Amino acid sequence: MRTRSVAFALSLLAAGGIVRPASADPRNAGDVAAGAARDIWHFIQQIRGEGSDTTGPVRSRPQASQPQAIPQAAPQGLTLDLSDLSHPLVLEEHLTRLADMAADDMRVTVPNGTARLGAYSVGSDQSIAGHLLVVRGDAQVFGRLQGNLVTYDGDIFVHPGAVISGDVLAIHGTVHDRGGEIGGESRTLSAVAPQVAAATPPLSAGEATLRRLAGVVGVFLALAALGVGLAAFGRNNLQVVSDTVSHSFGRAFVTGLVGQILILPTFGMLVVGLVLSVAGILLLPFAVAVYVLLVIVGVVGGYLAVAHAMGETYTRRRLAQGILVGAPGSYQFLLVGLVATTALWLAWALFGWVPVAGSLIRGAAILITWLLATAGLGAALLSRAGIRENFAGRIIPPEALTDEYLWATPQFGVPAVKRPGTGSRATGQRE
Amino acid sequence: MKAAVLALAAALLLHPAEGAAQQMREFSAARQRHGESRLATRLDFGAGSLRLAPGPVTHLYSLQLTYDVERFRPISRFDPVAGTVHLGLESTGRSGLRVSSREHLEQTAEVRLSPAVALDLDVALGAVDANIELGGLRLASLRVGTGASRSAIRFSTPNLAPCAVAVIEAGAAEVALTGLGNSRCDRITFSGGVGTALLDLSGVWTSDADLDVSMTMGELTLRLPRNVGVKVEMAKFLSSFASAGWTREGNTYLSPGYATAERRVNISLSTTIGNVNVEWLR
Repeated sequence: MRTRSVAFALSLLAAGGIVRPASADPRNAGDVAAGAARDIWHFIQQIRGEGSDTTGPVRSRPQASQPQAIPQAAPQGLTLDLSDLSHPLVLEEHLTRLADMAADDMRVTVPNGTARLGAYSVGSDQSIAGHLLVVRGDAQVFGRLQGNLVTYDGDIFVHPGAVISGDVLAIHGTVHDRGGEIGGESRTLSAVAPQVAAATPPLSAGEATLRRLAGVVGVFLALAALGVGLAAFGRNNLQVVSDTVSHSFGRAFVTGLVGQILILPTFGMLVVGLVLSVAGILLLPFAVAVYVLLVIVGVVGGYLAVAHAMGETYTRRRLAQGILVGAPGSYQFLLVGLVATTALWLAWALFGWVPVAGSLIRGAAILITWLLATAGLGAALLSRAGIRENFAGRIIPPEALTDEYLWATPQFGVPAVKRPGTGSRATGQRE
Repeated sequence: MKAAVLALAAALLLHPAEGAAQQMREFSAARQRHGESRLATRLDFGAGSLRLAPGPVTHLYSLQLTYDVERFRPISRFDPVAGTVHLGLESTGRSGLRVSSREHLEQTAEVRLSPAVALDLDVALGAVDANIELGGLRLASLRVGTGASRSAIRFSTPNLAPCAVAVIEAGAAEVALTGLGNSRCDRITFSGGVGTALLDLSGVWTSDADLDVSMTMGELTLRLPRNVGVKVEMAKFLSSFASAGWTREGNTYLSPGYATAERRVNISLSTTIGNVNVEWLR
């Protein structure tokens, strides 16, 4: 039992990719053990939320380089103009390319200036004419600089008595003004803040699954609560809309589609019409609120009616098969229908983390939900929110209610004319 | 079966889910003062939290930003010939509209302006929580435009220079202007869209002043000191005005002691839908 637990723990660590593969070299066994211990401790810190793990393009400042001058680049090589520092992001882009090079490979041309690698200091008795670029090191200024000063991965220190005639810019560094004179502007641009990634850590798939599940369950409960309210206080309207969906699904879908397209133009016309009329402008806030409310009621109510129709169809089929379903009613129809419509979202919540398949499930869920909501909205529009029964298959024209119609109306699935003892034999006629 | 479930659980726990982290950067800009006597400052800040206050006399201005790399880029442009500076953030035009949530880190801006130069200040704010202290500056003119913001603009101490005009335009906003008596502005214009507004006329009035106030829809509160005579010319439509204690002459209301007051403030007030409340300061 214990062996199995240890094996599981190791497999868990291996699954997370936090244990490095063991080296076959016995001389490195100590290093491997120390590395594994460090990894496990890092893993524990991560679980406790103390890890220093960062994601995103966070650039840590490299170690300072050996001070040296950077040679000029070839004519087609990298040229950095430091005469205008008002676009530090552009300058940073070029300097990142330079700083990523090995020290021996660095070549850059600074028009009217010089470039240095590593820490650099302008002595109090020194006066430098031209711009100065310092990469991977701090710039200490005690003397005079007739130009702009830029550091990349380094700070700028302007000491008392120092004079810089132009601008200073510290990319991934700070300007420390210790009493010197800076004729231009001093700017700093940090690297991407590392605490950001820590503040918004990516969720693990388990956490994301739980979050999605909570969302799906929450939406289901909210819709169920709305459905119960609708069934309790507007059952007749709900049933008429539901019957409209069942009886005229295609027509309801097309109507819903047209309704969606016309929602915004209608809203615009409403607003313009009210604004143009003197009295109507007073009604504008209320009209806007009512319109938005009506759209929401139409979509949500229509969706619930579709769920009701689905649940009713399913339940009647079960009844027809002789399966005892209890006392079927609107509440049960709604519940069954909502479970059915939520099923795909539930699948997405559980397996949304699976590459490709998760996206496909989500796309299918969105598409089907939109189809149902569109049909529901259309049914709500066709039936005027459940007031008109024209498309619900309920109204039979009075002229159709003839004796022949009533006599030939199918009962329990079997036409009366074909029942034993009825039809042609009963009337004594031969076919 | 049990092993499969455990393996699935382990994979779920350790497999990082997709989700891009918000990338924030810090930017700062500052300029020492080298004899400048006037500065026209334009400040743009679209979203986040802004603090503006007087800075040291040795510096003309300073700006410290924490901004969203994806949506904005910093601005710091100084024109020594024209004596203008443009500070703040401009949109990168990417990412569209981001609906903010608690999980998103907030952009911040801290601006300090020199109290030693005459200042023409033009501030454009978007969805911003702004805290602007203008007392102690040498404000020559002021223009503030806010969108869906919550802005507190204060003159806690007197303006060091006379101010010709202050224009504040608010959209759907919650705006509080306090200590307007310290502003030393000859004319103050406030235009509010939807929301709430507080105009606090406390402070040391050194001259008479005119206020043009219009509020489309919402609640406007006038906080008035008793030692200043206030005349309100009211144009209201579907609005209420708490006029108890005022002397009314047609659409004009005079505060008690208006005729004998040493300093007078004339308010032209226009409201469409909403309430105008009056609070008297002791």
